[in-house]
Parts: sequence; structure tokens; C-alpha cells
Amino acid sequence: MRRSGISVLIVTLAVTALAVAGCKKKPPVAFPPASGGPTAPAGGGTPPPPAPVPPQPPTIIDNPPVTSTGGKDLNAMAIDEINKPENSPLKPIYFLYDSDEIDDASKKILEANASVLKQYSTWVITVEGHCDERGTAEYNLALGDRRALSAKNYLMSLGIAADRLRTVSYGKEFPFDPGHEERAWSQNRRAHFMLVSK
Amino acid sequence: MRRLQVRTTVIGAAVAALATIAVPVATRDVVATEQQTAPAQQAELSVTLSSTTKRTVLAVADFVVPSGDADAAALSKLLADVLWADFDFEREYSLVPRAKTASLGAPARPEDVAQRPDWGSSGAGADAVVIGTVTRSGKEFSVKIDIVGAPGSPAAGQIGFSSLYEHCALANPRFCSHSIADDIHKKKRGLDGVARTRLAFSSDRDSARMSTRTGVPVSGKEIYVSDYDGANQQRFTFNNSLNIHSRWSPNGNQIVFTSYQTSFPDIYVANLAEAGRGLRRPGNGNDRVQNNQAAWSPDGSKIAYVSNRSGNYDIWIANADGGDARNLTNHPAADQNPTWSPNGQQIAFTSDRATGSTPQLYLIGISGQAIERLIDQRVDRPTWSTLGFIAFTSGSNFGHDISLLDLVSRQVTVLTDGKGDNGSPAVSPSGRHIAFTTSRWGKDQIAIVDRRGSDVRQITNTGNNTYPSWQPIR
Repeated sequence: MRRSGISVLIVTLAVTALAVAGCKKKPPVAFPPASGGPTAPAGGGTPPPPAPVPPQPPTIIDNPPVTSTGGKDLNAMAIDEINKPENSPLKPIYFLYDSDEIDDASKKILEANASVLKQYSTWVITVEGHCDERGTAEYNLALGDRRALSAKNYLMSLGIAADRLRTVSYGKEFPFDPGHEERAWSQNRRAHFMLVSK
Repeated sequence: MRRLQVRTTVIGAAVAALATIAVPVATRDVVATEQQTAPAQQAELSVTLSSTTKRTVLAVADFVVPSGDADAAALSKLLADVLWADFDFEREYSLVPRAKTASLGAPARPEDVAQRPDWGSSGAGADAVVIGTVTRSGKEFSVKIDIVGAPGSPAAGQIGFSSLYEHCALANPRFCSHSIADDIHKKKRGLDGVARTRLAFSSDRDSARMSTRTGVPVSGKEIYVSDYDGANQQRFTFNNSLNIHSRWSPNGNQIVFTSYQTSFPDIYVANLAEAGRGLRRPGNGNDRVQNNQAAWSPDGSKIAYVSNRSGNYDIWIANADGGDARNLTNHPAADQNPTWSPNGQQIAFTSDRATGSTPQLYLIGISGQAIERLIDQRVDRPTWSTLGFIAFTSGSNFGHDISLLDLVSRQVTVLTDGKGDNGSPAVSPSGRHIAFTTSRWGKDQIAIVDRRGSDVRQITNTGNNTYPSWQPIR
């Protein structure tokens, strides 16, 4: 009985997330308050690859910024602000179940992230490895470590210096989506990029 | 006159500014005094009480308290309930349910039991009745315990056990009953009971946004400490971070745990009883040297832990203060979950070196010699018990159970039968019970199961609770 209650809640949250995602074009005046708490990446959290582009923008605007922060001045922004999912130019990559392999979609994202790191050449970041809730807590610590190292190694292969890349594994301790089904799990199997200093 | 030294501490709510640790406040020892006036043990009763073929049926009466003393009156049922539960936990005795004797009225004196057939074989069915008599003195009280043969038993009316327990604190009456239970189990059954031990575990019940990850809304986990039966659950860390992998020192006075409070995992040692002092970081971690999953050697002189300082997870051994650290396993695969053999000469751990991802169970001498894979199946979080088995998490990524590996026969027994997802076993100091994490009741909770796989008890029920560890007997 309780389970069904939870899934109703999850569906509600999912609908909310979709609604927020649909409003993505609007400037982020007010960040959704407490409801955004445990839910996670409503606005900026790119759904698992391939990232769907919203069909038919309502009005035609020249040169909509694709990967950027919508014209925000990152040099003037505090680190904590930059690290908010809706602001960060460093996009997460996602993994298949029990895997630390970087697929083609993730490679594209990492290439974009590498460009950002080349543009902001003083930035030092932490690559966090995360896992979904399946599997034991202890095992997921190792899996998260492998995911963080995979992402770090790929960024290094793109010319980013190792001393700008720290790694840490959170295992399954910090799910970005608290749900208990594949839609949530696919969000939680990720390497997440956090700016440490700039 | 024999004095039983019982170390006792109580977790206080005080927050130590320096260490962000709530520390226990020491209370006086509970002292057991063998009654000089008690009659020498009667042969018949002794046989009855230590029978191995049929467990003695004990009834525990409401304790007798001084009339007109409100503080003491509140203890009458509580002390009896806790003592009953402690007996019930160890299963050395059969127990008459407390509800069954609730309406009978407790015998006022041990010598009254002989005239109470309603407690004996023709009534509640007890072979013997436990009578507790409370005497009050200030903030302390004493309890005299008598175990008396019930009418209908071969030893009807005989006092088979008598002892006085002094310096019980009004502030923590449960500990008084726990002390009594451990003493009776020791003297009557030769058993090192665990009624005075505690559990430590991680919980998100008071979760706050992690201070080190302000950009993304995630909640932290703090370490909590409780009595072995789940009573007196109290928060132990206050750093708004992720705190996991608690393990007790062999003397039971310290807890080592993994904390992410600097944004990277490192191992921290916290004293249970010293306010604001004793928080150490023996792994000397930083963003490049990350440490977790520490475990003390049985003599307390060394720690084993997981470190990535060589580039990936290996098992390291160091002196307890962190000195003389060396890489024990030194392998490019992920080595995790160190647990010491009871004699301190070997370490069991998990490694994915043969599979690339699935952890399996290995054994290695503490000098790095004689590495051996014990079994082929998937193994996570092994914990070596003093009873010749290793408890571990078995199963696939689709469901996990707690299993025991018998180190002599190499046979594996599955303890939990597929109810929920189960993991992170911690063996009690006597080896007779296993605490573990389970999702069978919805969220993650700490539970205890006996080593035969029965008598599952739920310990926590608020928030998600994980990574239990069991305090040694002190």
C-alpha cells in the first residue's frame, strides 16, 4: 500500500519536473523552493543521453545559446552559484547499469566540458562518481570511484591537466532523483562535475 | 564479597564545539554483590536452571518498589520489561510473556513465591520467578535479584540465585537491568551477554544539506549510537556531511568512521567519553589521499583501512595512531572491506581482481603473505566473528542477503531469506547475533538476526539507517 503512495508522489514530481523543464527558456528568476529539495535536477539536469531538444521553439530567436549559461558572467558568479545545476556549464555524464564506460553521448559532453575548462583555465574541479541504489553500499563506493576515474581520464586525454581534476566517489549515498525505478536510476548513475576553485 | 566492575557510560546531548561530537557522560559503575546470606546453590535447582535439554522457563515479576516513592514506582515495570527482553534476546531461557503475568500481582518477597501456584506449572507455567526488589538512595538505587523455584518445579521455593546490584542511576535505569542480565547470563550460563553493548550506525534522520556541496540539494548522514536493543538512540556526529563506516575500538571507548566533511573521505577517530577531545585523523587524508572503511586490530594496536593513495583502492595497515602505514594488498584492482581475524594475524577483504567488477572474498596475512581466495561467489562487507565464521553480504545486484561462511567447512549459510535488500552485516561480540541493514520495512533500517537466521528484530524506525557496527564487550 505504502509503495503505491510513493509512486504516486514520484509521478507527481516527474510531472512537476517536466513542467519546469518546459519553462526552461525563461530566465531563472526564482528557483523553485523547497519542492526542489530532494527531487534534484529539474531545470539543468539533462535527461540521459541523447538529450532531447524541445520541439519547435515558440519564437524564432537568432543564435540561441546551446551549451552556455544563457549569457551569465561566470567570472562574476560565486562558485556555489556556478555549481547549481541550472547554472553550471559543466554537464554531467550518465552511465549504463553497473558500468563505468564512457559512451559516445558522454564523450560529446566531456568534450564540451573540456572546452569550458580550457576557456576558464584556472578552474579546478572535482569529478564525483555516483551510482543508483541497486547494489550494496560498499560495492557502489568502488563503482563510483571507477566512474569518476573514467571521466577524469577522458578529460585528461582531451588535454586537461591532472592537477585540475580531483575525484571522489559518493557511491549510492547521494541520489539526485529519490525515485526507485529506472527513470530515477538513470539520473543517478553519473559523473558530476563540481567547481572547487577558480 | 565479589565486585563486578561494569563500565558504564551514557551518551549526553552536549555538542562539543571542537570535535562536533556528542559525548557520553560517565556514570558510576553498577556493582553486583554476591549475597553472603544466600543459601548455597541447591543441587536440584542448579540442574533445572542450567539444563541443556530443556530451557528453564523464567517469569519476570514487576520489581517491588518502596511504597510512596514516585521515582521508584516508575521503575517497577520498566526494569522488569528490560530484564525480560534481555533474557529473551539471548534465548538461554524460555520466558513467560510479561502480559501473561501482568494481572497476577508480583510476589512481595522471594519466600512468597512458594505460596503462588498461579505463577507455577499450574498457572503461568514458570519453572522459576525472577524477583527484583528496589531500594532507593538519592539519585541512585539498588536492586536485589532473587530467582526462586516456582510451585510445581522440582526446586519450588528454593532460591537459586541471589545478588545485589548497587549504584544503578535513576537517569539510566535500563542500564541497570542490562547489567543484571549480563551478570546472570555470565554466572548461570557462562555466557558473555551483550545487554550492555551499543550499536553505532549512520542515519539521515536529521539530514541537512551537506555544507560542502551547496550547489546540489543532497542530504547528509550522521553517526548515531544506541543501546544494543535500539533504546537511547543519540546523535554522535554533527558535521552536516556524509558519515559512514563506523567501527568500534576493541576497548569500546572509541569509534572510527569515514567522514566527507572536507569534501573528501577520510577516517576519523572519536572518543566516546571525552568531551571535545580525541578527534584524530590517522589516515592523514586530503583530496589526493582518500581513506575509508577503517577497522581496528583485535588488540587495538593497529588499524586496517582502504586508501587510494597508490592510485586505486588498496588495503593499508598502520599503527593505531596512523604511523608506519604500508600498502598490504597493492593491486590495481579495487580492494575493500578489511576485517581482522580474531587472532590479529590475518585480514579478510574483498577484491574484484579476478572479475574486473564483482567483489570476492580474499584472505591475506598481515605481512602480505599467503593471499588466498576463500570462495568464488560475490561477497561484500565481510565481518569476521569470534565463532569461526565470516558474515557477509551475498547476492547479485538485484537482491542481497546476509550469509555466513563457516571457515572450517567452507559452507555458506544464507541467514536472511530474501525479504527486502540486506547488507552491511556487523557481528555481535559474542558472535551469536548479526546486525545488518535491511529495506524489508520500506526505508533502510537496522535489524538484528540471530546466527541461525531467526528472531529478526527491528532496531531503528526513523529515516534511513545504514552501516551498523557493534560495540565490543568492555
